[in-house]
Formats: sequence, C-alpha cells, structure tokens
Amino acid sequence: MTDQPIRPAREHRRRARRRRTLAVAASAALGALLLAGCSAPGDGRVQLDFFQFKGEALEDFEQVIADFEAENPDIDVVQNQVADADTIIRTLLVKDKAPDVITLNANGNFGRLAQAGVFYDFSDEPVLQTINPAVQEILADLGNAEGEVNGLGYVNNANGVIYNREIFEEQGLEVPETWDEFIAVCDALRDAGIVPFYGTLADSWTGLPSFNALGAYPAQGDFFEQMREEGEDVGPDSEVSFQQDFAEAMDQQYELFSYTQEGYRGKTYDDGNAAFANGEVAMLMQGIWAINPVKEINPDIDAAIFPYPATDDPDDRLLVSGVDVVVTMGENTPHREEALRFIDYLFEQDVIEQFAASQNMVPSVEGAQLSDDPAIQSVAPWFDEGRITGFIDHQIPPSIPLAAIDQEFLFTGDADAALATLDREWAKVAARTIPVTGE
Amino acid sequence: MTTLTQAVRSSSTAGEKPARAKRVRLESRRALPAFYWMVWPAVIAFALFHTLPVLVGIFFSFTNYAGYGEWNFVGFSNYVNLFRDDRVLAAYGFSFLFAIVATILTNVISLAIALGLHAKIKARNFWRGVYFVPYVLSILVIGYVFQFFFSNSLPKILSGIPLFADNILTSPDWAWTAIVVLAVWQACAFAIIIYLSGLQTIPAELYEAASLDGASAWRQFRSITFPLIGAFFTINVVLSLKGYLQVFDQIVALTNGGPGTSTESVTLLIFRGGFSGGEFAYQTANAVIFFIVITVVSLFQFRVLQRREADF
Repeated sequence: MTDQPIRPAREHRRRARRRRTLAVAASAALGALLLAGCSAPGDGRVQLDFFQFKGEALEDFEQVIADFEAENPDIDVVQNQVADADTIIRTLLVKDKAPDVITLNANGNFGRLAQAGVFYDFSDEPVLQTINPAVQEILADLGNAEGEVNGLGYVNNANGVIYNREIFEEQGLEVPETWDEFIAVCDALRDAGIVPFYGTLADSWTGLPSFNALGAYPAQGDFFEQMREEGEDVGPDSEVSFQQDFAEAMDQQYELFSYTQEGYRGKTYDDGNAAFANGEVAMLMQGIWAINPVKEINPDIDAAIFPYPATDDPDDRLLVSGVDVVVTMGENTPHREEALRFIDYLFEQDVIEQFAASQNMVPSVEGAQLSDDPAIQSVAPWFDEGRITGFIDHQIPPSIPLAAIDQEFLFTGDADAALATLDREWAKVAARTIPVTGE
Repeated sequence: MTTLTQAVRSSSTAGEKPARAKRVRLESRRALPAFYWMVWPAVIAFALFHTLPVLVGIFFSFTNYAGYGEWNFVGFSNYVNLFRDDRVLAAYGFSFLFAIVATILTNVISLAIALGLHAKIKARNFWRGVYFVPYVLSILVIGYVFQFFFSNSLPKILSGIPLFADNILTSPDWAWTAIVVLAVWQACAFAIIIYLSGLQTIPAELYEAASLDGASAWRQFRSITFPLIGAFFTINVVLSLKGYLQVFDQIVALTNGGPGTSTESVTLLIFRGGFSGGEFAYQTANAVIFFIVITVVSLFQFRVLQRREADF
C-alpha cells in the first residue's frame, strides 16, 4: 500500500531508458551512414587533397588547378585553403590523415615537422634539380629528416631596406654598399630635411625585419646549432650566446632607429606604409611584402629594395630571404604518382612565373622570369648569385617573446639587458623542454 | 493551531501512526521530478564543458604535451620550472598590482557615482542610463577607441608632458596605468548598478532619525549607508578583484602585453605561451596554479569582508 505511488515512476523511468538507448543507437547508425557517404568516390577520377595555407593565393591556385585539370582529366584537385595552417597540419598528421599535396610557410614549425620525418623525400625527383640551390639551403637550415629533402621552395620573399628611388635620385644618393655608406646616406637625407626611416614600433613585430637582417651576419656558420647544443648553459660566458655575438647587430639596429621620425613609438605598420607611399620618408625597414600595401596607396611609387649592408666589405653583404611557400607531400600518400604530376606542373616555368608575379614574390625555379616590378628586379641578382640567407627568428623557439624583447630594447636602448634576457629565455626554454621519448 | 494538531494526533490510533510517518519521510526525501529535470541539463552541460576540460587540463599539466603529437609523463617538473621562470613571476606581479589598484579605484569611484545617482538629482534615470553605457559596449571596441585616444589624441592634447607626448602605451613603466584607466572606466558601470540596488535597500527612516539627532552627511554615510550596503561592497570587491586578476581583453586591445613583456598578465602569458609558443603542458600547469591562487584569494576576501558586514 505504501509502496504503491513509487512503482509507476520506476516503471516509467525504465521505459524511458530503453527509449533513450534506442535513440542513441539510431543516431549513431545514422551518423555512420552519413560519414560513409562522404568518402565515397565520385566518377573514377583520382581526388588529390591539396592543403593550401595562403589566403591571398586562393584565386591564383584556383586558376592553376583549373589549367592542370584541363590537361589531366583523370585527376581532380581539391584545394583546401585553411586559416591557422600550422595547427591544422599538425592535427592532420597526428591523425594519420596527411593531405596529398601540401603548401606551407617555411618557418620554424615546418622545420620541426620535416625533422620528424612526416613528409616525402624528394631527393631523387627530377623537379628538385630545377630549383635554386640557395633556396633549398634555406630549407635545409630549418630542418629535414636525416639525409632527406622534404620540401621544395616555391616562391621567396626578400627582407631588405625599401627605398624611394625618386628621393635617392633627387638627392644624388647611391645604394649604400657598406655600413659607413649606409649611415652617410641617412645623414645626408636628414641634412636635406628628409626623414630617413619611418619607425612603426606600436606594432612590436615591425622591429623584427631589421633584427633578422642585421642578426643574419653574426648568425652565419653554425651559431644556432651551437646554441642548441649548449641549451641551458647559454649565458654570458658560454662559447656562443646572444651576449657574446649579437652586441654589434643590436647597436646597428638602435643606430638605424635613431634616424626615424618623431613619435616612431606610437605609429603602426599601416601608418608607415602610408607615409612611405606618400613620399614623406625615404626608406622603410620592411620586406618585399610591404610593397603591395604601399602600391595600393600610391600605385606610381618607384620603390626598390637593397640588403642591409652591415659589413665593411661590399662582397660580404647578404640578402635575407624566406621561403614564403614551400611545396611538399605526405610521406605515404596513396596517390604518389598523381601528386608528383601536380607538383611537376606547379614548378613548370610559366606556371610559377605567373604565380610569383601575381603574389609579388621571387620564383625559386632557376631561369624563371621575374615580374618587371622594380622591387623584384632589384633583388633578383642576389638570388641569381645565391647570396641569400634565412630568417634567424625561425631558429628561435616561439616561446621566447623575441618581438617584445626587441621592441623594448628599441625603446630603452639597453642592449645588454635585451641580450641577457634572450640568453636567459633560451636557457630556460632549453631546460624545461623535455623531449618525447619513443613510445 | 497547535492545539488542533495536537487534537488530530491524539485522536488517531496507534496503528496508523508509523505508516503515516513513513510516508511523510518518503515524500520529503524525493522532490518532484520536475525539479530534477530543471537541474540535470545544467549539471550535465557544466560537467561536460567545464569540469571535464579542467580535469583533462590538470592531467596534461603533468606531461610534456605540446598540443599535438606524442607525450610522456614528466611528473611535477612543469610546476617546478614555473617557479624558476622569472617571466611567470613577473606576470603574477603585474596581475596583482593591476588587480589591486583597479579594484580600489573601481569601488571608490562607483560608490561615489552611485551615491550621486541615488540622490534626488534632475533627470536621474537619464544619468543612470548614461553611466550604464560602458557596460553595454564590447570591450574590444572600447579598447581600440582608447588605444587611438592614447596613441593619437592624448599626445596632441598634452604635448607638453613628455610621458603623454611620447604615447604612454609605449612606456614600460607607465603603460599599465593606461590599462587601469580603460578597465576601471568600463567596470564601474556594473559596480554602480550593484551599489545602487544596495542603496535602495536602506530604509529612509534611518536617515530621518539620524538627521533628527543632528548627524552630518559624512556621519550618516559612515554609520548608516556604508555598514548597510556591506554585503554589496563584499560582492563588488570580490568580483572586481577576481575579474581584474584575469585581465585579458583590455591588454590585447591596448598594448598586447608590451612594451616588452611589461604589461603581460598571467592569462595573456598562458594564452601566448600555450598556443603560439607551443608549450601547452607548461602553461596548463601555470593555469592550474592560477586557478588555485584565485580561489584562495576569493575565499580569503569573503571571510574577511563578511565578518564586518552589518545585519539588520
């Protein structure tokens, strides 16, 4: 009698549970069906999954793919343009779902992935022989799996001083070839009432292009290899360290920033491009990537690029260049033959020429024609002669706040403190990075 | 009433008594199923989207996981390294300095404004609306407006003072004060609302009696107003300090942690180091420590502040 009111409730719950189980099972089955539907092949054509990181190159690649498919009707290339590619490629690789053809920005992350041996080895592919060896050298510095070549440089950027050729001509100035000439040019401009550089330190990263260019000189040789070997012992007294080797580069950077306009601390990258485009300043400490935004403001500007002459000997000058787009493929793609056909097509001379011109970059294939943009033409000889070197910030662990440290140094002028911070951060990161051991 | 119950009880037979008592106990043990249906979705959603991720995070803080790929257990070494990292310690120092200064300013300013808005001023509802506007606006929108103000307008207005003429956001020593200004300006809106509702709970007779006794306005505030809104003061101080310790958007909009790392808060450091820096496990350990720190600080505040609240 007393239990009576409870029983129906229990009964009800039991039935509800059964119903719920059914519903879960049904939805799981439906989900499985839908997933199976997704992967079903279409019309017998081989589908190539093309992983593409560069948002501004979406349309150019669409065109390339359309032309390629017209020539190769048995292949269907699906462009998968992603934001935040570095993270996504990692998750894909972890899940063993490497795309067939991959483009990435050749930064430190790419080097680490390549070292892990997840990409195809291009050593024996004929397409490798068509590429400028200096470009492949930059990729090798980032890292490859032992004895392999895991990436093909596609187009390159150039990190140098952008200068207004009209202003230089009016003032009768030549492109400086040594550090002293460089300072003399800055002094001459200032004496003529022209601001030499536009500083944009409100965006902390805008200190990095000049840091990379000037720091490239002391980083030649095996500086970073030795730094990695020393690891947590890096400090003022170790064999190599920022404090030992980078003092001069820092002084040079600070000296250049003394030639910037009043209020350089509060201006942004966009302010700088606008000022340069309107002829308010003679030079910008930026790379070739700034040419497009500048031309959007003033299409008629006559701008070109020269490398930072941080030496006394003109023959020692180096142009810092990064591989903006590197092409590679998954190590075990089931469509190797088709993927290689697409890659060979990408590196065909007229294809890469058109792509590089549209992206305002330097093509890596030897003998490819460059666009007639004066900025591209001005850096071309450096690529032809192989006098290029990579970005040093790709060698520095991303957990070190390099841009912030450099920005603070340019505000305070305290090079010793900045270099000591860099060394300390390097040692700390090395000490707390515990490598993953096998299984 | 009591006698009636008594009468009913005494009239009932001894045999029925235990049965009725049992049923009463059963009913009190089980609430209506509708209440469970109201509670369960929230509990499940909370556990699934909050508690579970927290536990997973704590788990990974004992590994060397980089956010992808393989990992091993590394014991407590992430935690040990945290205490050796001067960048982490500096971030804690900044967060606490910022939070304490901003909490004090927020509460002093919003209490003063709330008193004004509570008085019989003209167009009172209009003014209340005006002071609530900052709360409605998105912090990033305000942030970029303030950023423009600090880096473009202020240098022109105060061009005689080198600190402002040089853009205060680029001064390693003083950039944090600009963030305080933005944060306090925005947070006051909500604190004012809480104080206003507190002020409305004070009976008007108390002020009447006090003025008959000849108490000055300051005396009335000290002896009546402030003690009687003690609970609201506690809530405001605890919420502000907790919110300010987790400061993030304001910094992203104004300085992005710069110049250098001088305005890097703990949350910004966790975000940056964990995601762009690729040290997922290490910064997760930092997040666990930070969670404990905030909990301890909030509990401590409650205990201290609640002791001095007045009951009425």
